[in-house]
Amino acid sequence: MRSKIKAHKVFEIYEEDRGRRLFTKNILPGKTHFDERIIKENNQEYREFDPRRSKLAAMIMKGCTNAGIRKNDTILYLGVSHGYTSSFVSDMVGEEGLIFGIDPAPRVVRDLVFLSEERKNIIPILANANHPEEYIERVSAADIVYQDISQRNQAEIFIKNCKTFLKNGGYGLLAIKAKSINIKRKPKDIFIEIRKILEKEFTVIDYRILEPFEKDHAMIIIKK
Amino acid sequence: MKYLFTNIIGSFVLDGKLKIVDSTLFKNVEEHKNKEKSEKQLKQKHKAEQLPNEKLHQALLLFKDKQYHQEFYKKNLQLTKQSIKESVNEDNLIVQAISNINELDKINNILTKRLREWYSLYLPELSEEIQSHEKYVELVATKTKEELMKEIGTKETMGADLDKPYVDEMILLAKQIINNYQLRKEHEKYLELIMKRYCPNLLELAGITIGAKLMELGKSLKHLAMLPASTIQLLGAEKALFRHIKTGSRSPKHGIIINHSIVQKAKRNEKGKAARMLADKLSICAKLDYFKGEFKAKEYKKELEENFR
Repeated sequence: MRSKIKAHKVFEIYEEDRGRRLFTKNILPGKTHFDERIIKENNQEYREFDPRRSKLAAMIMKGCTNAGIRKNDTILYLGVSHGYTSSFVSDMVGEEGLIFGIDPAPRVVRDLVFLSEERKNIIPILANANHPEEYIERVSAADIVYQDISQRNQAEIFIKNCKTFLKNGGYGLLAIKAKSINIKRKPKDIFIEIRKILEKEFTVIDYRILEPFEKDHAMIIIKK
Repeated sequence: MKYLFTNIIGSFVLDGKLKIVDSTLFKNVEEHKNKEKSEKQLKQKHKAEQLPNEKLHQALLLFKDKQYHQEFYKKNLQLTKQSIKESVNEDNLIVQAISNINELDKINNILTKRLREWYSLYLPELSEEIQSHEKYVELVATKTKEELMKEIGTKETMGADLDKPYVDEMILLAKQIINNYQLRKEHEKYLELIMKRYCPNLLELAGITIGAKLMELGKSLKHLAMLPASTIQLLGAEKALFRHIKTGSRSPKHGIIINHSIVQKAKRNEKGKAARMLADKLSICAKLDYFKGEFKAKEYKKELEENFR
């Protein structure tokens, strides 16, 4: 039988059905956290990565070829929430990698603690990403900074964090929610404006609007 | 030149090229909280200075190493668990209680509607006669068909004559609903108990339900105290507000505070004014409560009631 699952262009991601479905290699075989579909092949387990629930998956579905995340990376994840995306990122970086997950809301970090007790490479931190001094003593520098926060000053927070924590040559992924910056203006104008702000500080290597998976969202990937 | 850098793992002395020279490792989280002691020791020993901000990035890079992963994991998890424990306060209890009251209201409405349909097979006249849900349920649960007919003054009924075991099931449902109404009352008492201590001004001016709902919409008392009065006026009318901003339709005048007796009693053309003034005073009350001010809500309430009679 021909193998159904192939490696995707993006590192550590697998695809099925000519890229219509995305998967990651499960580092905890036999365990799912969000009732996702599982495929078993050649003694390996793959978890389905839903682009409607995760902006990272949506970005890859939209044709991004380099998300920057590789095995054994250290990742600073701002706005982890319940940890849907970060559970897949934890698959991607593997057991040797590390994710610092930061979120200010106790309710969602509570869920994240249960996840991190199973996945030992996720570290939950209850802190506000707007104030890096709150958690500067609790994290290390990172290869990747991933931010998914719906705040008005999301670009400012992202630049602040990238400057402090991102290593030179590291990648930063910023998910922008236009609706939380200004609901009156056209989303596309906002994206372009933020892109210009980021271009002053870093090199923008990818920019995609996440329609139809997420409405009025875009993602920008930068390199420091 | 030597620098001192402390993080959750320990205190480290770095030399000019930012290599680790000396360190004291923290055994547990408490030692990190009392870090001054070990910092002082190292500072004296090496004559080190606090790490300047521009070198912070390089220091952080030192710890991006596999040997520290386990330490980071263990200590951060412990700290996070502690801070989650500390994050619980009265706000959360109030929000949970008021949410459950909302849900109980919905459930009671659905169940009572069903009971009315069901019991109307047996005695349809009662449902016509008695409008109040609560009273209806209580009558069904406590009285027999004959007593009820006497109460509403009808001698004949078009309801079917059902055997007692057939009717018992309806009465069981009625008793269940009464329990729910009882639970709702208990919840209100519980809210009053908490709010009397936590936010007396808000409780006095807004009442239990509206006060708690404001707290729910404003997320917490702290957040509510930081909100401007105009936002408090429109809490709960977000849909109308955003429609107004987007399409230019008429702006909403009041959110959840429309249920307040002062706004209710105001004349139709004064409702907006009443809502604005009430929101104004509510905002002051929230601030008084959060910053532990004096009890002034009674004066405000009097003032408002005189204004909108």
